[in-house]
Order: sequence, then C-alpha cells, then structure tokens
Amino acid sequence: MRRDAEVPRSTIGWFFREAVRRIWVSKRTSFVAVAMIAISLLILGSFLLLSENLERAVTRWQGSSRVTIYLDADATPSQTHDVDAFLAAHRDFGRRRLVTKEEALTRFKSYFTNLNEVVGELDENPFPASFECNVTPRLAQSSVFAREVGELRAIAGVDQVQLDWDWVRRLRRLVDVINVAGFVAGGILAIAAAFTIANVIRLTMMLYREEIEIMRLVGATERIIRGPFLIEGLLQGTIGGIFAVGLLFASYEIARRLIPPASSLLWGFLFAGFLPWQKIVGLVAGGMVAGWLGSWISVRERTEESA
Amino acid sequence: MIHFYHVTKRFDRYSTALHDVTFHIDKGEFVFLTGPSGAGKSTLLKLILRQMKPTDGQIVVNGRNLNAMRRAHLPFFRREIGMVFQDFKLIERMTVFENLSFILTIIGVPPKEHKKKAYGALRTVSLHHKLNAYPPQLSGGEQQRVAVARALINDPLVLIADEPTGNLDPDLSAEILEIFADANLRGSTVLIATHDRELITRSGRRVIALDHGRITDEKPAAPERAARAGGLFGIG
Repeated sequence: MRRDAEVPRSTIGWFFREAVRRIWVSKRTSFVAVAMIAISLLILGSFLLLSENLERAVTRWQGSSRVTIYLDADATPSQTHDVDAFLAAHRDFGRRRLVTKEEALTRFKSYFTNLNEVVGELDENPFPASFECNVTPRLAQSSVFAREVGELRAIAGVDQVQLDWDWVRRLRRLVDVINVAGFVAGGILAIAAAFTIANVIRLTMMLYREEIEIMRLVGATERIIRGPFLIEGLLQGTIGGIFAVGLLFASYEIARRLIPPASSLLWGFLFAGFLPWQKIVGLVAGGMVAGWLGSWISVRERTEESA
Repeated sequence: MIHFYHVTKRFDRYSTALHDVTFHIDKGEFVFLTGPSGAGKSTLLKLILRQMKPTDGQIVVNGRNLNAMRRAHLPFFRREIGMVFQDFKLIERMTVFENLSFILTIIGVPPKEHKKKAYGALRTVSLHHKLNAYPPQLSGGEQQRVAVARALINDPLVLIADEPTGNLDPDLSAEILEIFADANLRGSTVLIATHDRELITRSGRRVIALDHGRITDEKPAAPERAARAGGLFGIG
C-alpha cells in the first residue's frame, strides 16, 4: 500500500482553498469562532501589555537603585560623622550625599506646593537629615551587603535604612500576579474559544456529511478528509489572533493619545511601549494553537464515530 | 479478481440480503449481475467496495481479503476500483470538472494535469462541454455520464456500476456500455448490476443472476463473445 502518498503535496493547496471556501460559506458561525478567539487573546494581551510596562518600570528603577539612611532627629554631628565614615569605608555604598534637615524641608515644599501652608504652621522642621547613596541593583541579592546594612542600622544616630528595591520587589511581585492572572484568564477563555471552534467545525462537518461519505467511497484517506477542517480551525485561530493584536494596538494608541502624559504617574507605568514582537507572535501563535486544537477535537471525534 | 466464498449478509434476524453466495470473476472479465429489485445486487456491490462487511464468508478482491483489510488501507484499495453509484454520488457544490479533479487530487496527480485528464474523461462520455456545470444543472442521464467519467478517470483495475443505464434512453445506454467495454479492453475487470434483460441478452456477456439473495443462474459469455473480446453492443 502506498502509505507515503497518503497526503500528496498538491493536496495541501487544496486543503487551504477548501478551508477558505468553507469559512466563506459559513461566514456567521466562523465570525463567532474568530470573535471568541480574538476576545480571549485581547484579554490575555491586555494583561501582558500591563505587565510588560510595569516590568519596564521596574527595570528602569532597578538600574538607579538608592539607599537612604535617615538619621535621628536629634542626631549629633559626631554621630553624623560616624555614619559618614562607615559609608566611606564600605565601597558598596558608592557615591553618598548628605541631605540636611533644611534641604529635606525645601525638597518637600517643592514637591508638594499645596501643603506649604501646613508645613509653615509647624513649630519645628519635622524632616530628618539623611544620607542618599547610589548602589548597584545586583546588591539586592548580596548577603554581604545585607550584613553591612545591618551594621549600619546598629550605628547610634541612625533611625532607618530604606532600600529602593524593597518596593521594586513588591512591584515585581505584582507583575508576577498580573502575568499569572492574565495567563489564567486568557487560558480559560482560549480553551472556551477552542471549544467554540470545535463546535463550529462540528457543525460544518455535519453540513458536509454526505460529501465526506462520497470522499471516502472514492478513496480519500481520513487525513485528506480532515485536512480542510483542520486548516479551517487554524485559519480561524490565526485571524482571531491577528484581530486581537490589532485591537490591542489600536486601544493602546487611542488611550495613549487621550490620556495626557503629565496627568498621572500611571502614564509612565502604562505607556512605556507596546508589546515586543516576540509576544505579538506568541499571541497570534496562541490563536493558531487554539484554532487547531478546537478543530482537531471535533474532527477526531467525528471521523472516529464514522469509522 | 473478485472472489466470493459462501458470503452471507444479514442485516437483522429477519432480513438476509445475501445467502451463501459463491462466485469468481477473473481478471479482464466483463460480467453482468442481474435480478429483480431486492435481489441483493446493490448489497453485493457494496460488499465489493467494502462499504459493509459480510456476516459470514470471505471476499477477496484484487488479491486482498476484505474481511481482514485494515481501515487505513481501505482508501488505497478503493482507488483501484471505479464505482458508478445508482444515485451518482456527485458533489453538488462542485462543478463537473471539480468532481473529477478531486479524484486526481487525492491520488496526487499534479493540478496542471487535471484539466487535460478531466477533459479527456468527459469527452469519452460526450460531456466535455459541461466542464463548468454543476450537477444539479444537469439531467439525470448527464449526471450518470459524469459519474461514469469519474469512475474511469483513474484507469481502475475493477469497474463496478450499479444500474448505470437506469436513467438513459436505449441509444445512450448502449453508448455507456460501449465505454465500459472499452475500459474492459484496456484491462479493467467490469461488473455491472442491471435489470435490463434486453441489454444483457444483446451483449452476450457472462451473467450472474440473483434472486432473494441467492445465485439462481449463471450464464457464461457466448462463445463468439469470448473469442471476440470486444466489438460490442450492436452499435459503433
């Protein structure tokens, strides 16, 4: 038996022509399948876009990490000197800068101009003096640095040592949560979309029941019979994926133009850039897989039924 | 080429379509299968095409035991058989050309050769001018001829036809049978189910008669027919 000729090469072109024709014939049901795929991938894509931008923000902040050493309000000049000496002796702390109480107050007033009156009513300056040190992000994982921070905290006159990456770490955890939520929501919807495609293909196969029987009688293999249906699902998934990426990009661009950059800190989080091409390809590929899977499920069960 | 050994086909306890049928058709033979409606002719043809399995007995076609044939091998076996169905079984949404081209597609004939081959097959049944028509636009007789062209396009080892002249006038019937005879001359083994007694008598071919699922009569080909091997149904 010529098993090697089961799906002749020229048949692949026929699969595609047939699949396109069948999608066109069943426009409405195909539209539902494509819409389901597009919606699920749009939701997944939205989560990915949000996490992508947060991730960028995190990376940016990590690149300029800072340690702030707040001194007690009543720290003596000698204690301040001891801290300065400690920082000078430990190279991990890099370049340091003393922010005096007065400078801290001035900085607050410049950041929050509307609170200037309240601050003016205070009897004394509530802001502590501090040292600001630039450190490299890789130190976040260093146990030596952690020990140095511990020693720093123990020096008399030090009130608090604040590390930037504590909240960067919290933000990264949020990014992870968003990613997981996106994959769970998108995954569930993609499975639902795959089953929608399975039902659409099932309907199409019922519509072509007689034709399939004729094909069998004249010698078509199951692979040849299944081919156009599988390609139909694949095409629906691909179109859904492309639609999802298109809609996501359009929504992103519209939102970016509607929301003025100065209006909120969130702007920086949300609009640092669109998805990288790898994720765009991944989304479209996700649609293709969902479409293929859906059609494979129904094609397999229906051709086995009639075996 | 076609061997039935004590074949019985029962659908249920009360309905037996074929009962202990044994016959042999050699390679290159031209045989008529005859009998009244309900005699079991169509069931017998379906068994040859492995549309169904016998309840008892063995069927061997072209050296293959159909009872033992694996499902995966069935399409390749069917490609060696040209079948003209009683209800034509043409795909209505496809044009005449596409109906023929589809057969060539599944056996891997390059698309550029389809037109030439389809045209040639349709020319044989004098329907080459209907290449782009859809089956519902054709008369019953024309559809039957398209079905014949489809069965012949692959130069089958075995050509089977279920009442192929049922919708045709006598002239066209003779013409179609001439086409089968030509295929027979080119090497195809031909088995035609019909109840057209006049056609059978005129042809002088071997006849297997069925009634109530049993073989009731077997007539060999007329001696002059056997010697002449062709020259055909009184026309041409």
